[in-house]
Amino acid sequence: MPLFADRHPTAGTLRRLVDEPAGVPDADRAHVAGCAACLDSLAGARADAAVTGAALTPATALPAAPDVDGAWRRLSAAVDAGTRGRAPAPAPARPGRWRAALRSPVVAAVGVVVVLGGAGAAAAADWLQVFRTEEVAAVPVSGTDLVALPDLSAYGELVVVSDPDVREVPDADAAQQATGLDVPQVDTLPAGVTGEPRYTVGGQAVAEFTFSADRAAQAAAAAGATLPPPPPGLDGATFRLQAGPGVAAVWSEARGVPALVVGRATAPTAYASGVPFDTARDYLLSLPGFPADLAAQLQGFSGTGTTLPLPVPAELATTSTADVDGHEATLLASRDGALAGVVWVEDGVVTAVAGSLGEDEVLAVARGLR
Amino acid sequence: MSQGPVAALGTAAARGAARGRPGRGDTERGDTAVAGPRGAVRADLEQVFRTGYPAVVAVAARVLGSRDEAEDVAQEVFLSFARSAVPAAEAPGWLAVAAAHTALNHLRSGRRRAAREEAAADGHRPVPDVADDVLVREERSRVRAALARLPRRQAVALVLRHSGLSYADVAAALDLSPGSVGTTVRRAESALREELTRRAPVR
Repeated sequence: MPLFADRHPTAGTLRRLVDEPAGVPDADRAHVAGCAACLDSLAGARADAAVTGAALTPATALPAAPDVDGAWRRLSAAVDAGTRGRAPAPAPARPGRWRAALRSPVVAAVGVVVVLGGAGAAAAADWLQVFRTEEVAAVPVSGTDLVALPDLSAYGELVVVSDPDVREVPDADAAQQATGLDVPQVDTLPAGVTGEPRYTVGGQAVAEFTFSADRAAQAAAAAGATLPPPPPGLDGATFRLQAGPGVAAVWSEARGVPALVVGRATAPTAYASGVPFDTARDYLLSLPGFPADLAAQLQGFSGTGTTLPLPVPAELATTSTADVDGHEATLLASRDGALAGVVWVEDGVVTAVAGSLGEDEVLAVARGLR
Repeated sequence: MSQGPVAALGTAAARGAARGRPGRGDTERGDTAVAGPRGAVRADLEQVFRTGYPAVVAVAARVLGSRDEAEDVAQEVFLSFARSAVPAAEAPGWLAVAAAHTALNHLRSGRRRAAREEAAADGHRPVPDVADDVLVREERSRVRAALARLPRRQAVALVLRHSGLSYADVAAALDLSPGSVGTTVRRAESALREELTRRAPVR
């Protein structure tokens, strides 16, 4: 009897024998050497590996040393632009804490939708709380506009009243228990997305923004402008902003790239005191640095302030509307086709589906949610 | 199999990938864990870039079959890395996986490829690829289409292996057991060969 394993090695072991034989146990190698069937399979594996290797070889030969300096200059410019886009206002009060508190799952989901350019997500986090949401509409803005978006924390005091306590939970049942929301279940996963999602939940985030005419004047002066006179009663007026609870289910095919995110949360709401909310909004929109055309767009959305605007960098993404089970949804897609998302509101609940998918795929997931 | 610059990614991929899950938990980490102080860029970016750029381009080029597109993908990958909190020691593995995923996303969209081929057909392409021959171009197109149809995990494992990562590195990078890498790669190669055979034009 030959000294070899008495079972045929797996196809995977035979494949490894093709280009990493040292990683295959001796007994398996001995078996293959004396087994006609395994030698046949090995030849097949070797042939397929060779065909694949040739097929994956780029048509244009890669030079030994690509232009790393040129590529670095290009990246530096992109990083600089992104940094400017994320820091539109000078040293606001506790911006990190403010944003962290607003990182409810839906903000995260919307962040993925708005991806599109890191600055967009940051701007959305500032603004979306300021509207009571019954609809969703995307606002295409240019990169320049994003840089100019005023940060609310430069115009008053931001106090986090309630931290959402964002955390992971083991499964959908636990997520439902934690949030009280119907956790969306995906009927059929798109091709290429597999496995079980991780569930992240967050409670209600509550923050109060108190407008300060003094601080706003300082911010305006820093921008080289004069603050327009605030409407009566706005100085010192407080707005209570609420977001969540919410849940996000995230499928990650491998590290780093979420393949699919499905998020749901109670729609953000804002409560005004002192002055009507619309008055405050219109005034905020008129602040120095806020582009007039963008302000006009926002004001045109709804006289009752019920629209959730998603600022979307116009040069990076396209927006359109679609129907999801009778609800009008906003469909976003990055211009390079790598990412897409869809957001809609139903009975005061925002649902978002996004990922490294095509528009058809996110819509199919959205329409198939149970 | 050509090892190329990507072989250098191997050890670090094995070391870091299973532990680090970049992109995970942006919701719970808050600003500081994601990108440091507001507006700050990670200090090690240039060093990681200069070390890892050729390898990232090489991985993306295997997926896309085009160096120009691969360089675009590399920019996207490093832009994501710049905004991440991935430890530098884990960067090579993270970059390799991100390069494969991002390039596959480009393939899936197909828009860039279609636009480029259209431009080539119109004769506006500034620097034509070596493969100007129509048949070769068709074959390349079939390879990319077949790659895009593979299950994502198979496609990534295949690309990383053919970029020179060892079985242990691929296993670590994709959270696979070392034993299942061969199986995954074998399935991918078999499916790819079948697709290419089935769709090959009669000559």
